[in-house]
Amino acid sequence: MTARTIWRCWLALIILLSLTTGLAFVPLGTATLFVSLGIAVTKALIVLLFFMELKASSALVRVFAAAGFFWLMIMIALTTADYTHRTDQRVPLDQVR
Amino acid sequence: MHAPRSENYLNASVGIRSWLLTTDHKRIALLYFAGITFFFFIGGTAASLMRLELITPQPDLGSPDFYNRLFTMHGIIMVWFFLIPSIPTTMGNFMIPLMIGARDLAFPRLNLLSWYLYIAGGLITIAALLLGGVDTGWTFYEPYSTFYATGYLILAVFGIFVAGFSSILTGLNFIVTVHKLRAPGMTWYRLPVFVWSTYATSLILVLATPVLAMTLLMLLAERVLHVGIFSPQFGGDPLLFQHMFWFYSHPAVYIMILPSMGVISEVVPCFSGKPLFGYYFVVWCSIAIAAIGFLVWGHHMFVAGMSLYASLAFSFLSYLVAVPSAIKVFNWIATMHEGWIRFDAPMLYAFGFIGLFTIGGLTGLMLAALAVDVHVTDTYFVVAHFHYIMVGGAVMGFFAGLHYWWPKISGRLYPDYWARFAAILAFFGFNLTFFPQFILGYLGMPRRYQSYPPEFQIWNVLSSAGASILAVGYALPLFYFAWSILRGPRASANPWGATGLEWTTSSPPPTENFPKTPTVIRDPYQYDHGVPCMQAKDD
Amino acid sequence: MTERTLSFQYSTLQQERETVTLGMWAFLATEVLFFGALIAAYFSYRIWFGAEFIAAAKLTKVALGTANTAVLLTSSACMAMAVTTHEAGARRSPVLWLIATALLGVAFILIKGTEWFLEYQEHLVPALNFDLGRRGGVAEIFFMFYFCATGLHALHLLIGICLVSWLAFAIGTDRLKPGSTARLIGLYWHFVDIVWIFLFPLIYLAGRNG
Repeated sequence: MTARTIWRCWLALIILLSLTTGLAFVPLGTATLFVSLGIAVTKALIVLLFFMELKASSALVRVFAAAGFFWLMIMIALTTADYTHRTDQRVPLDQVR
Repeated sequence: MHAPRSENYLNASVGIRSWLLTTDHKRIALLYFAGITFFFFIGGTAASLMRLELITPQPDLGSPDFYNRLFTMHGIIMVWFFLIPSIPTTMGNFMIPLMIGARDLAFPRLNLLSWYLYIAGGLITIAALLLGGVDTGWTFYEPYSTFYATGYLILAVFGIFVAGFSSILTGLNFIVTVHKLRAPGMTWYRLPVFVWSTYATSLILVLATPVLAMTLLMLLAERVLHVGIFSPQFGGDPLLFQHMFWFYSHPAVYIMILPSMGVISEVVPCFSGKPLFGYYFVVWCSIAIAAIGFLVWGHHMFVAGMSLYASLAFSFLSYLVAVPSAIKVFNWIATMHEGWIRFDAPMLYAFGFIGLFTIGGLTGLMLAALAVDVHVTDTYFVVAHFHYIMVGGAVMGFFAGLHYWWPKISGRLYPDYWARFAAILAFFGFNLTFFPQFILGYLGMPRRYQSYPPEFQIWNVLSSAGASILAVGYALPLFYFAWSILRGPRASANPWGATGLEWTTSSPPPTENFPKTPTVIRDPYQYDHGVPCMQAKDD
Repeated sequence: MTERTLSFQYSTLQQERETVTLGMWAFLATEVLFFGALIAAYFSYRIWFGAEFIAAAKLTKVALGTANTAVLLTSSACMAMAVTTHEAGARRSPVLWLIATALLGVAFILIKGTEWFLEYQEHLVPALNFDLGRRGGVAEIFFMFYFCATGLHALHLLIGICLVSWLAFAIGTDRLKPGSTARLIGLYWHFVDIVWIFLFPLIYLAGRNG
């Protein structure tokens, strides 16, 4: 990893940061979350592949790195599967207390 | 019998500091063994008091609140301080480096830290229980546990939180060790199944326990700060706590059973004098159980208010997870077929495991069916199901491993007739204790109840009678193992005629495990008409 | 430079280097699941509560959050420079880059502290002074997440600052044993950055385009 790579990555990260903050104020409808998460994933990949040297690492190290994220996806997918299919009515809070 | 003792890991250094500051995985295994035995007896005492109480339909031993604290204590201690550490920290720690031909684990000092975290967590939780305990059940469901329960919840939960880090670091240690420290010639497909099972268990330890840590932190935040995250009166969803709790706690039950399955996979080929049938199936089924086990947690929440869509998905996935377990059972039986069966104590425990685990597994399938679950959930049917797996399965596997590796660990042989008697007694005691509970659950007796309608009494009496027999079966090994250390005949390196690397070094092993790093030249469990073909190169 | 001795469980230096690297990545995987559990809970509530939950995010301070993200990203670049120069054999450069990293970390903590103080003044701190009547229960739950997430992240960052400072001291005074220590601390630091990269859009950028 050279100094040149590091500072190019830094520049890319700062540009992506400006982009994501800027786009947050643009009405994108349902795509808003996916855009901001997509940019976050891109930033994370830059940090993982270059700063954390995954690009130059063995396949085994990359599997270890991916495992946590993959398992997290499972947790998020199945848990949110419940919440997107709930049909019960939520009682407004002032009637509960 | 009285030959001068060679240097081994037990006599290499003396004094309490050499034990409490050891980084030798074998000594740490014994430190853990002391811990889990201690906690087993505390959890067992709680169970004994519960079974005493349940002999009569009316309350006998104290208030309903006291009974609630008893079953909570029993659950917390048995799950987190006995079953989850049991085989991995004792036999895993001791045997993994030996089985792969290494001198120690990858991170020996981290291993010692794991033990201290376990003991610290255990003592904190014991303190909570001695001060008066908790009455929420080991599952700490919200909002009862955070807003309404009295008792020492914060202390008990904090103890579990600390012990969780012990689990994580142990799993991490095992995974890295198996990847990087194997001896020359020890390829993945030459590893004993116990190593694969411990590896699969370690995957769960590493990936599931952190979720428990976060869940417990959020629970503590609610309890301490009196803010709602999961509580309906503050607009939160109690089901979210259950999702997060069971995301860990269901894989946790596979932490408890996979190492036992690994032990059985070691014992059955040895005492059948035959190679393990379907080695590739068995090892990949271990991985499959670990992986699919992460996808089924919702089956604990079928009646809690989860969406029907999610319930259907979890029900289907729960059926799926039974398949690799069943494949393993078929493979063990096929291993025994036309073998040279020896009925030593380890094999008797293995027989017990296979039969009882099968019953437990089949009743699990019954529970996975949504309609059946609605009827029997929170009854003794569920209690019987998981005790068949945890006690009939995991604990039998633990005893099988203990009896199998005792000569290697202690360098002594124990009296086989007493051991076989204890195994048979435990088997009968276990079935008498827990089979009536299937009937009770089907008839409708709820779990966690101190008093019950009189028509259930006969089954409860049978169950309590069985518990007294089971207690004897579990107490006996204490006596004959102690005897073996004081007066037992010395064990040779390979008293059972098994094929693994651990049986090439002396009993007990030297501190560095092998005088010279072994070279592995063949697959595991190779027998020639009952005669073992050792994995290590003869030199 | 101090002598290179191999721990007894390893056969070669290469094996030791690969082993400790795997160990650190395994540890980071546990941290992914640790923070991830909180994020999964966040997503569940974001779906279940819908618009009210997202609306609460507007009360966070996006300018300070963006500035903090820039601070942390820059600190990662400095950390990467420190590791690169250290592995190239330099002695002064890594120490300077490490000090820069630690200082940026401290800057992050200070900005975060300012945010928390402002939120306290605006009655947005659950358990202390959250204005339930004005903001509602859903917003309180959002802010529970906010404080849990940013609090735990700050704790991890503090640990990182201590590690980086110690590393600067050890390299500077020639006490550091040769090995992977600097690289491993770098991995930890970058990971704390990645956690923030995901927390930032979830906490600060939701609900701003309504």
